Amino acid sequence: MGRGTRLAGGGLVAVLLALAGCGGGGAGRAEGTITVWDYYGGSTPIKPVIAEFERANPKIKVKYEAYDYDTMREKYATAVGARTAPDLATLDMTWISTYAATGTLADLSKLSGGKINGEPVEGQYARGALAAMKYKGRYVTALYDFDAYALYYRRDIFKKNGIAVPGNWEQFKAAVAKLAATAPSPGKQRFQVLPDTFHFAQFLFQGGGEILNGSGKSAFAGPAGIGALTFYRDLLKSGGVYWGEDQGDTSGMPGIKDGRIAMFLNGPYMMGVLKDGAPEQKGKWAVVPAPVGVQQGSYLGGTGLSIPVTSKHKAAAWKFAQFLLRPEQQLLVAKQAGAAPATTAALNRPELTAPDPYFGGDAPFKVFLAAMTTARPFPYVKNWTDVDKAISDGVTAALLGKKAPDRALGDAAREVDGLREG
Amino acid sequence: MKAEARSALAGYGLVAPAVLAAVAFLYIPMAVSAYWSFTDYNGVDAPQWTGLANYSDLAGSDRFHQAFTNTVVFTVVGMSVGPALGLVTALALNQKIRMVGFFRSVYFLPVTTSLVVTGTVWKMLLNENGVLNSALGLFGLPGHAWLADPGTSLLSVTAASVWQGFGFETVVFLAALQSIPKELYDAANVDGAGFWPRFRHVTLPGLRPSIVFVFVFGLIGSFQAFDQMFVMTRGGPVGSTTTLVYYLVERFQELDLGAASAVAYVLFVILAALSYAQLRASRERA
Repeated sequence: MGRGTRLAGGGLVAVLLALAGCGGGGAGRAEGTITVWDYYGGSTPIKPVIAEFERANPKIKVKYEAYDYDTMREKYATAVGARTAPDLATLDMTWISTYAATGTLADLSKLSGGKINGEPVEGQYARGALAAMKYKGRYVTALYDFDAYALYYRRDIFKKNGIAVPGNWEQFKAAVAKLAATAPSPGKQRFQVLPDTFHFAQFLFQGGGEILNGSGKSAFAGPAGIGALTFYRDLLKSGGVYWGEDQGDTSGMPGIKDGRIAMFLNGPYMMGVLKDGAPEQKGKWAVVPAPVGVQQGSYLGGTGLSIPVTSKHKAAAWKFAQFLLRPEQQLLVAKQAGAAPATTAALNRPELTAPDPYFGGDAPFKVFLAAMTTARPFPYVKNWTDVDKAISDGVTAALLGKKAPDRALGDAAREVDGLREG
Repeated sequence: MKAEARSALAGYGLVAPAVLAAVAFLYIPMAVSAYWSFTDYNGVDAPQWTGLANYSDLAGSDRFHQAFTNTVVFTVVGMSVGPALGLVTALALNQKIRMVGFFRSVYFLPVTTSLVVTGTVWKMLLNENGVLNSALGLFGLPGHAWLADPGTSLLSVTAASVWQGFGFETVVFLAALQSIPKELYDAANVDGAGFWPRFRHVTLPGLRPSIVFVFVFGLIGSFQAFDQMFVMTRGGPVGSTTTLVYYLVERFQELDLGAASAVAYVLFVILAALSYAQLRASRERA
């Protein structure tokens, strides 16, 4: 049997946390050395502006540490327990529920006084984004980049084969089928079908459904959910390509490069991924609003700037966070990382609304800005990851034909409703 | 007396660093973890005593049952095929054939490679557009989503693990084979024993300590499998490759440290019981 690095059961949890000391501390003065953890990687928009921030704020030094996405999650969980968390961290919005519910995030409502860079927080984000930043009525993170879905499609292939750009679900299904039917060889020109909660939620929200009801019980297995999953499964059958874990990362870049994927639903970060990963496809892609079911809708995620409750330099960390949320710094989110900045001031800047040659002269950011206005975050419950797992397993089972959509979601709902709240 | 006391003191001094390190980094954390397993603890707030709640939650959790079953299947299949393959390879390499050294190195090479690397390579081999399906296509055979299908994902990951690890068993068995006195085989030959009687009455008894070692070591390793699942399948699809340690890590990521500690102790008890049973059985046979 394999004998690589093993995670020694009992020892792991204990050793990582046994050295936990005392932490805490108030906001204090905006000075000192702050540690910043960032998962953006090589295209980070944060690291390049540190020198400028330090020049403008000579009493604050920034110690920058980069981690990849997976490492960040592991390390943050460990650091919280060991009271060695940084002063500021980029955290995925899907992690916020757990970290907020366990009390690991500082109360930004108190720290900010309800303002970012001197302006009310409410005036700087779309309604959905403001909801995503709050836990139990208090701000626990400041959205730095956002994720909401739109439809990416190969403009050249659609034009060549006379395929109409879909505006609703019926047209969507027809476009997926025609795309596959006109492929030059089997398995090409497919719609990417990802078996996850994000994509299921796209159809669920559009179908008028919701994930959990007001009392935290499952609501996704009702008629709207079954209809959404059935439709998603039908898209796969009509001409989709199932994109499981074995295919590599969810961006689908290998399939985009070799022609298997010609259409997909995803967030604005894919604009940067496409430009970096498939420069030869410049001018061939277009982005339009996701085809509508009963109503517009998308999940809302992204990256939040969060201050762990254990930070001893909260005021200084918040000052740096505000610096990163200025429009000129927010523009770097698009320019450096190819993602979508979260503040409306940045999203409306001419640099982002100008024609983009990669997308045939369109301005895709406008599409995502519109998507954000109707997008909503996943529910903030402590065991969100367990809820997410139950749903994505149900979606996977239905897409693989292992269960009918109603049974798959019914089983997931039973699991979610049986979770211990605590 | 003085010299004896000095000698004893020196002895205690020599073992003290190791004992202190074990107490600080093993026994105290184990005791702390045992305490946490009876609490609701998120690493930030003070642990709240919940008695056996974490253990009863595990007993009633379908996810935990699935992780336990997956671990058992992974262990049983892996510990059946891996050592058998290692033994056959060792027997082959123990013959007087050319380039034995080269073959030994080739078989042992995957053992020295990180599971993350071998997992990544096997993922490329087994994905739907991977090398295996391409090879099957050459013979007109249909491909299969080996890792994406919950029915084949666990066996696929197990195959990768066996491939990565059987070189270790090979080397252990080979060393043991070469330590069996040649006179025993000569005596068996004089008695007219064929291959099977020689294997059963000379080779196998000679290999017994190595077999016990391989099984105890392998069992512990199998029950702690995590890396290959993380790299190849992320515990999916539909939890089909989630092992006990994978489940533990998920609890840890959720800052559910009480439940994570309870899983760790369940794992600890299982491994302690199995290792004890194996060692005891081997002593009785000896």
